[in-house]
Amino acid sequence: METSELLQLVIAGLKNGSIYALLALGFTIVYAATNVINFAQGEFYMLGGMFAVFAFTRFGLPLVLAVPVAVLVVAGIGVLFERLAIRPRKDAEPMALIIITVGGSLVFASLARHAFGSDALPLPEFTPGPSIPFAGAAIERQALWIWGIVLVTVAGLTFLYGKTRLGRAMRACMQNREAARLMGIDTARVVMISFGLAAALGALAGVAVTPLTSTRFDIGAGIAVKGFAAAILGGLGSPLAAVAGGLLLGLIEQAVIPFSSALKDVVALAVLLAVLFLRPQGLFRRSRREKV
Amino acid sequence: MSAPGKRNILAAVAIAICAVAIVALPFVVADRYILRILTVVGINVIMVAGLSLLFGYAGQISLGQAAFYGLGAYTSGYLAKAGVPWLVALVGGVGVAALGGLLIALPSLRLKGHYLAMATLGFGEIMLFFFTETESITGGSNGLRGIPPASIGPLEFATPVAKYFLVWAVVAIVLLLAANVVRHRPGRALRAIHGSEMGAQACGIDTVRVKIQVFVISAGLGGLAGVLYGHYVGFVSPSTFTLHYSLILVTMVALGGMGSLGGAVAGTVLLTLLPFIDAIIPGLPRTTVAVLQDWTNDIYGLVLILVMLFMPRGLAGWARSLVARLAERGSARVPGGERA
Repeated sequence: METSELLQLVIAGLKNGSIYALLALGFTIVYAATNVINFAQGEFYMLGGMFAVFAFTRFGLPLVLAVPVAVLVVAGIGVLFERLAIRPRKDAEPMALIIITVGGSLVFASLARHAFGSDALPLPEFTPGPSIPFAGAAIERQALWIWGIVLVTVAGLTFLYGKTRLGRAMRACMQNREAARLMGIDTARVVMISFGLAAALGALAGVAVTPLTSTRFDIGAGIAVKGFAAAILGGLGSPLAAVAGGLLLGLIEQAVIPFSSALKDVVALAVLLAVLFLRPQGLFRRSRREKV
Repeated sequence: MSAPGKRNILAAVAIAICAVAIVALPFVVADRYILRILTVVGINVIMVAGLSLLFGYAGQISLGQAAFYGLGAYTSGYLAKAGVPWLVALVGGVGVAALGGLLIALPSLRLKGHYLAMATLGFGEIMLFFFTETESITGGSNGLRGIPPASIGPLEFATPVAKYFLVWAVVAIVLLLAANVVRHRPGRALRAIHGSEMGAQACGIDTVRVKIQVFVISAGLGGLAGVLYGHYVGFVSPSTFTLHYSLILVTMVALGGMGSLGGAVAGTVLLTLLPFIDAIIPGLPRTTVAVLQDWTNDIYGLVLILVMLFMPRGLAGWARSLVARLAERGSARVPGGERA
């Protein structure tokens, strides 16, 4: 294989991996605050693309406005979902909460079909134009946007966790929710904000990728599995590890394409099972034993 | 009379009425469409009986139950098309599905909660990928066509009535066996694992063995349902064995009530009939039916959320508290009556 072809695969891997990274961040943030894996995370991704298309084509908003509007609306939906469906049972066994988010995923996908129809919906690129040549390979302009979004997100999250009161509260909840509550931290607020933030990140990923892939009401579950695989690779701990997990997964996927392009979609699943079975604590963390 | 005593009698009466109704139905109802729907209900009941043991009793969630359904259907369909007698194909289908269960059970012993949920989901999606991609065996996305109907020697289950009775006979056997399991020692072990795995271990329960057993049994029952489905429809394709179907099965168990076989069966019957409501209640206006069918998935999802929020013990828990209340009122009215 020529270097330019290899480079092209790496670029594609980093592009898809960035999307997985944004989803993995969503899983990680909610998990940190609640110990719940939100099975509806993929639906936020789907809804992000859907609302952006809707705002752009039906309301004729320019993309500059349609994108943030879509992200904000989905963040609101995330907050609402937490208030209505998670908070009333927040102390239930994890199984009950898992099932609630699974139900949420069914409802969101189905409502999206009623609202937006069952066709694949396209969105124009943020900055249309030919791909940018780079050392014999080509980079889509939208890929630059995706990378930019991931960089800004990581920088924003680093600032949030490191420098703000809210971030410190979120980190405290991550370590021990009960102790954080006793220290006077409003844990309910942290959980709510976490859901909103995770939904916003999912929506952002969905909006950023829709110009390349278009969107449909039923894409949520498939992408959620990949995002979760990335989150598990990262160990469901620090945001940086989640991003690393996402990029790694994107690259692994591209690595099998020269052998069989049909296998690409099953790679994430194989990685997911392998990590769950061999290193459930993720690649970067040490394991802990359960105590009575 | 005490509430549990009354409950047992009520349950026995309900089971007897259901059994009589199921046997009598083909002689009363001329509509073959209704028979077909009820055959599908029976197949789903077998599926859910397996999931109820695994998820409802032992608390081990599976979001990949459709994979075992598919393994059973494809294996026996392939074997039967190759000329293997149906009973052998049946054993093959159940065996392969059970093997799949063992395959996922062994590594899953370390996992619980959302890890297990995602692992089983991943397993289901991988199996779906193989059902679609191994075209030489499964026929790919076109599916496996021309599966012969079930037959035992010269006895062929080719008519809708015969298929109906075959499926419901298997349902009866499965439910009897499952009820036997949950009522006795193994059932208590399953519930103990649900409560606390370490606690169960401390009580001397071999949790590893019990968990593997319940995984394999539940996968085998999934395979059994798949075998019946394949020979009933005569055609299987990947679109049947999706995550969506696995989620609906979980919804059925949750609606019925965790840790209740009867509840799971009730949940299955209700949710399976929902899209076919026009055939069951003939007078319904067509627009109502169309809306209900269009919103079926929303209803499934909402049921899942609402049951978890407001009725965590499901239909079974609701029925239990209803019976207990009735028993209390009854004993209060009769002077000197035994209080529950």
